[in-house]
Amino acid sequence: MAAQMDKRIERLSKPEKSDFRLTIPSQTRYLNLVTGLAKRASLVAGMDDATAAKVSIAVDEAVTNIILHAYGGEEDHTVELDLRFTGKALEIHMWHTGLGIRGDQIVLPDPKEYVKHPRKGGLGLLLMSRFMDEVRFGEEHGRSECCMIKTIA
Amino acid sequence: MADLSIQVRDAGAASVVQPSGFINAHTVRQFESALESLVQEGRYTILLNCRELSYISSAGLGAIMGLIETVRENQGDILLCNLQDNVFAIFDTLGFTQLYRVYPCEEDALASLAEKA
Repeated sequence: MAAQMDKRIERLSKPEKSDFRLTIPSQTRYLNLVTGLAKRASLVAGMDDATAAKVSIAVDEAVTNIILHAYGGEEDHTVELDLRFTGKALEIHMWHTGLGIRGDQIVLPDPKEYVKHPRKGGLGLLLMSRFMDEVRFGEEHGRSECCMIKTIA
Repeated sequence: MADLSIQVRDAGAASVVQPSGFINAHTVRQFESALESLVQEGRYTILLNCRELSYISSAGLGAIMGLIETVRENQGDILLCNLQDNVFAIFDTLGFTQLYRVYPCEEDALASLAEKA
C-alpha cells in the first residue's frame, strides 16, 4: 500500500517522457495560452483540426470552472495541467487546491430544456462532456482533479 | 493582436456586431458590454457576424442567452452569420441552432430581415 502510494506520488511529481506539464496562475488571461496548448497537443496526438478545436474548448471550460468556481475568482492560486499522451488517447489532468466537486454532484442541463427556457450559465460542463470521451473529477493528496480524456480515432 | 476587438455598425434596422478574436471568460465582459449598449439604445435586432471569431466558450453563449428574451420581447432578435466550423459545432452541440437563425453570410441575413419587414 505504502509502495503503491509512493509510486503514485512519484508519478504526480515527475512527468513521464511523453507528458507535458504547465502551471498557470488562476487568472483568465492565461486561458488562451492553455487552449492553444491543448489544441497543439491534440494535433500532435494525431487528432484532426475539428477534434482538436473541441478539445481546446473543453479545456477552456474546465480551467474557467477552476478559476471562477473552485477558486472563486481569486487570482493568487495556481492551476496545474498535465497532458499525457498514451498512444490511444490524450489525457488532460487539471489540478487545483480550490473547492472540489464530486462527479455525483454534477447535473448536466438538458439542451432541449435549455433551449425552451434560456438562461445564463450551466453550459460549460455540458460542452466538456459532449466534446470529450470521458470527464471525471477526483481528489488526491489534498488537491482536486478534473481529468478529461479524448480517444484518438 | 488584442484578444478581442468588436466592430459595431448599423445596417438598416439591424445592428451588426463583428467580434474579432475569441470570446471566453477573459474577454466576455467586453462582448457583453457591446450587446448591452445596443439594447440600451433600443437596437433590438442584432446580427452577430462571426467571420473573424476564432472561438466562443460558454461564457460568450451565456452573454447572448442573457439578452435573447429582452430583444424578442421588443420585437427584435439575435441572428448569426459566417460561423466558422468550430464555432458552429459549439452552437449546434448545445441545440442553439434551433434557437437562433443562422445564415451563411451577412447579405443573406440582412435580406431575410428586409423580407420580414
